[in-house]
Amino acid sequence: MDVSTDEERLLIEAAQADPARFVELYDRNVDRVYAYVSRRAGSRSVAEDVTSEVFEQALSNLGTFKWRGVPFVAWLYRIASNALADHWKRERRDSHDLPPDVPDEREHQDLERRVSLFQLVDRLPDAQRQVIQMRFVEDRTIREVAAALDRSEGAVKQLQLRALENLRKDAGHHG
Amino acid sequence: MADQLLPDRLDEVIDALVARGDASAALRDPELAPLARMAADLRHYPSRDFTARLRARLERRTTMTTTMTSGPAEAGHSADYAVREGFTTVTPYIWVPDRGLADFLVRTFDAIETSVGEIPGHGIHRELRIGDSMVMIGESGRAEVPARPVALHVFVTNVDTTFAKAIAAGGMSLGEPADRPYGERAGFIKDAYGNHWYIATPLGPESLGHHLRSVTPYLHSHDVRGYIDFLARAFGAVEEVVHEHGGVIPYARARIADAAIEFGTADPMPGAYFLYVVDPDSVYEQALAAGAKSLSAPADRPSGDRIGFIEDPVGNHWYIARPA
Repeated sequence: MDVSTDEERLLIEAAQADPARFVELYDRNVDRVYAYVSRRAGSRSVAEDVTSEVFEQALSNLGTFKWRGVPFVAWLYRIASNALADHWKRERRDSHDLPPDVPDEREHQDLERRVSLFQLVDRLPDAQRQVIQMRFVEDRTIREVAAALDRSEGAVKQLQLRALENLRKDAGHHG
Repeated sequence: MADQLLPDRLDEVIDALVARGDASAALRDPELAPLARMAADLRHYPSRDFTARLRARLERRTTMTTTMTSGPAEAGHSADYAVREGFTTVTPYIWVPDRGLADFLVRTFDAIETSVGEIPGHGIHRELRIGDSMVMIGESGRAEVPARPVALHVFVTNVDTTFAKAIAAGGMSLGEPADRPYGERAGFIKDAYGNHWYIATPLGPESLGHHLRSVTPYLHSHDVRGYIDFLARAFGAVEEVVHEHGGVIPYARARIADAAIEFGTADPMPGAYFLYVVDPDSVYEQALAAGAKSLSAPADRPSGDRIGFIEDPVGNHWYIARPA
């Protein structure tokens, strides 16, 4: 957690009193929830649908949340687990009838590592970040990225390599 | 592969990852392996367009919640609701030429007629209860007055039985009862006046049927997001669920106070709806400011209700009413 327990408790209480503060809880947790959902969802559009559902439900039910010293994200993971199960039921994926597990300690650490990586991407120089966005989020080919950025394919491959090397270096510093 | 330059080798790995989710070959290459692991994680990097859109939606929703619970707000997009006993904030109002629709609802859904009266100069007004919901019917008595058919989602105990009763009562099948992938067994009926009845029985504990009342308006639009935005600005609607696939929204749901409304992307079926509020004058002004067209300014009616009448951008009519 990047906030102290007390800070998080105060923020939850503030959001329960004034729903406009809910976006602060969203900002702190959206990457975690997305990372958890994404590795189970099978596609980007499903991951986005389910993540949306999680925060819509969390906002609707925030008043029922009782602070028991457990991180807020654990509650969100539980909602996400049920939302994934609902999605699978709708899609008739009978082999996944039961809600998936919420993260154990090992997965929790893995998710935190990914969240740190996502935040490092946000801080990359613009051109490198754009290449990551187009290659991994938009699934564009090197040729398409080169056309969009008005650069040669070779230059884009260099940017891609530099972005990953920077992320590896920074992740080492942060990890 | 090792003869190639590192940027080209990495690019081949990323191509394989994006296409097949497979970077196993790269893990044997000590120079590429750590980058390939990182690339595998980046496949789960969230779209920042998505996270920003969702944030904006939640922010708008919390703003609406705040203004609705604190009464008429400076920002304007709010409404206080004054619902008639037995009704919800939104009630479908179905215009037809004669009493055939009321008969159809009684025969199909075991609807109970709770009220009937004359609307001077406009025909007969009927109110029927279906399950825990109300439906209003206006019977113009004149064939030349066009019907305004609507689409309604109706939950029943046994869709197969109700569907058969609808056919026997003169309904036309638009789709036989079948288990649908969204958690309900549903069949679709068009009545003699063109209204669509999406008749459903919940399948499983997570079905929508457990969150909705017996009858929920299902509004069609080609711009669902824009339409919900209008309803938010006009009536204080709060978006609840939006499923979007490839830029199309097959299903969405919003709520105006205690009334759910569902949406789908399709040709509009402009109908009419009653909206109960405390202050019809200010909500009427708010709706006009949001882009509605005035059909008649708020006035006290013979029934004792005060009603303003508008047409929204999709063509639906809204009776903005304070009950007597």
